[in-house]
Amino acid sequence: MDVRSQVSMVFHLDKCIGCHTCSIACKNIWTDRKGAEYMWWNNVETKPGTGYPTKWENQDIYKGGWEKNGDTVSLKGAGKFKGLKNIFHNPHMPVLDDYYEPWTYKYQDLFTAPEGDDQPTARPVSLVTGEHMDVQAGPNWDDDMGGSPDYARQDVNLEKLSASEKEAMFQLERMTFHYLPRICNHCLNPACVGSCPSGALYKRGEDGIVLINQERCRAWRMCVTACPYKKSYYNWNTGKSEKCILCYPRLESGQAPACFHSCVGRIRYLGVMLYDADKIATASAAPDDRLVDAQMDIYLDPFDPEVIKQARLNGVADSTITAAQNSPVYKFVKVWKLALPLHPEFRTLPNLFYVPALLPTMATVADGVYNSTSKSLWNGVESNRLPMKYLASLFSAGDTGKVTEVMKRLMAVRLHRRGVTVGDLNAAEISQALKDVQMEPDTADAIFRLTSLATFDERFVIPPAHREESIEMLENTGDVKGNTGFGFKQKPARGL
Amino acid sequence: MKSKNNHLLSLTRKRILSLEVLFCSIFILLFAKVDFAQDGEAIFKQNCSACHKMGMRLVGPDLTGVTTKRTEEWLMKWTRSSQALIKSGDADAKAIYDEFGGIMMPDQTISDEEIKAVYAFIASKSEAATAATPAVTEAVVNASADATPEVIELGKNLFVGSNAFSNGGAACIACHNVNYTGVIPGGLLAKDLTTAHSRLGGDAGILGILGAPPFPAMTQAYKGKAITETEIAALTAFLNKVDKDTANQVASSPNLLLYGGAGGLVGLLVIIYLLWFVRKKDTVKKDIYNRQLKSI
Repeated sequence: MDVRSQVSMVFHLDKCIGCHTCSIACKNIWTDRKGAEYMWWNNVETKPGTGYPTKWENQDIYKGGWEKNGDTVSLKGAGKFKGLKNIFHNPHMPVLDDYYEPWTYKYQDLFTAPEGDDQPTARPVSLVTGEHMDVQAGPNWDDDMGGSPDYARQDVNLEKLSASEKEAMFQLERMTFHYLPRICNHCLNPACVGSCPSGALYKRGEDGIVLINQERCRAWRMCVTACPYKKSYYNWNTGKSEKCILCYPRLESGQAPACFHSCVGRIRYLGVMLYDADKIATASAAPDDRLVDAQMDIYLDPFDPEVIKQARLNGVADSTITAAQNSPVYKFVKVWKLALPLHPEFRTLPNLFYVPALLPTMATVADGVYNSTSKSLWNGVESNRLPMKYLASLFSAGDTGKVTEVMKRLMAVRLHRRGVTVGDLNAAEISQALKDVQMEPDTADAIFRLTSLATFDERFVIPPAHREESIEMLENTGDVKGNTGFGFKQKPARGL
Repeated sequence: MKSKNNHLLSLTRKRILSLEVLFCSIFILLFAKVDFAQDGEAIFKQNCSACHKMGMRLVGPDLTGVTTKRTEEWLMKWTRSSQALIKSGDADAKAIYDEFGGIMMPDQTISDEEIKAVYAFIASKSEAATAATPAVTEAVVNASADATPEVIELGKNLFVGSNAFSNGGAACIACHNVNYTGVIPGGLLAKDLTTAHSRLGGDAGILGILGAPPFPAMTQAYKGKAITETEIAALTAFLNKVDKDTANQVASSPNLLLYGGAGGLVGLLVIIYLLWFVRKKDTVKKDIYNRQLKSI
């Protein structure tokens, strides 16, 4: 057992209102620079939709992630031979138009235009070339199903649906959408790290954050192709690739990452998970139907004395173990089994988990009257607006049983709380729903509490970074004691 | 008074000095002129004899009576730059060039006076020759054909540089190439010497060139590092062997590089096209843009 700690995340999609505050918080801090304008380390997509970059989930186009190769996995688009073949021109890489060409407006023209018969306008100018341009796409052009035939109908996850199922999704009173905020998954088996010819990418030992060393990056851009989530971006100005750093400077000082901190719907949870690094190789090569279970097996019980002992032997700090015990992520993912990884079939073992959204039940409009199609307020999850096949394609590598189970658990919690707060439901029906998913009412209450009433400190359990210990590994702090501290930018005239 | 005397004295001295300078100059000029006239033969030996011989056709034509056959002006032009004369459209010059197998005569860097001296020498020799019995064309003697394998081997070693020239000259392979078993491809700076032996009219041509290199670059390269007679004999024997050994002479098309390169490029493009046939050719948004533009 090789116990390590990993900063993991849960996004509760039921609570996401698609406001993009997270994206703006991230953009303002990290990617508001020349060459980074088109990057959205955090972006919010509408599902069904094609996402950003367009059709990123389609690995036939982008060749990202790992593919099963006997007992092990190999990179789909990179690696020794494939990498060498494409080292000077990588044809699977997204081009700028697959993201979008960033632009701004010439606002000054509104004020400086000479007097005329017409209103002055602020024309769009490209942030790449500086020339006037016709805006063709943005990072969330499919927002709220905008341009639906172009975006929603081209969602890669619809491929697994039959033609009639697909058609049904776009009928009035059936049509639905939800949001999918995405950041770097800081995977346990990161394809970007595996693909880098320069060894510039690495996974931090203490918290598992995946970073690109800007000094070692040689702009091969293999990581851009290899990341199946397309969360590594090439900065054309600096000639280096960049990606989400999970705001590690904030984490190290005990603050939640900016996108987590700013989240209006409070959908985001962050906490430590202890995992067994010895199991990564087998879990990433598990058969498709076992992928989610195999990944869940990697995460260890932080209360198990044996796990604690092994963690200590590996140098995991006690404060980190305590944080793992209080981790909201551990509760959502392992204890309550409510959260699933996004596209586990990419085999990168992502550490960002999603609680799927319970969508409104189906209804019909007859003679101008809105009729629910079922007698009860919430119909069974089987008649969910989004077909289970679609959700399974997103969250469980096509295993509909897995998502159905999660939806049933969510439904049980909702029914239970409706019973508590409104009391208009049949008590037998509620207890049957809880019994179906083997959930105690106390657990349902706890889930409700962490979902709806959680405080800041319950949502973000950030362990101390112990920088003071890690610096002692590199240098003797006694050497510099008394030599640094308060200083001067300009020495005083009288001298020191 | 004294000062005036001094002044006169200095004037006289100055006059004497200028006279001295004048006489000296005349003397030097006269002496030099004489020197040139006498040197015609030496210059001929140094610069011309590699290819030309009086009363016998060698690499270049027999020069007996050439001074009466051509005008002095024509001879001067030809000697300074035969190629320039050919290019100017002179029919005679072209005819001579073609007659001697297209072997160009190198441009001579000697001065006009020296050229004149050489032709003066040729004229004097010609008169003597016509006075005597007409020259009998000697049969071309190629003694090198009988050379022992050891001598040929020595020649080969000298050519490729495994044996150094005793006076320190550069190995032939630095500038020349021959197609011969066991000899790596040589330099491309100067002529390919595979068929040099027959091209230059047998032993005599090679011996002449190696004894007194007439080509400017070669003259410079072997200045003060003359190739000894034994070495010359060995090299001549080697070049004769290379010339005869036709098995090693690959008929090379001058455009091989061009056609081969073009063919190779096309082949390479085909391979690249096939290897990368499955690739992302357009932006994934192309269809979206096209449909949206159509609907406007």
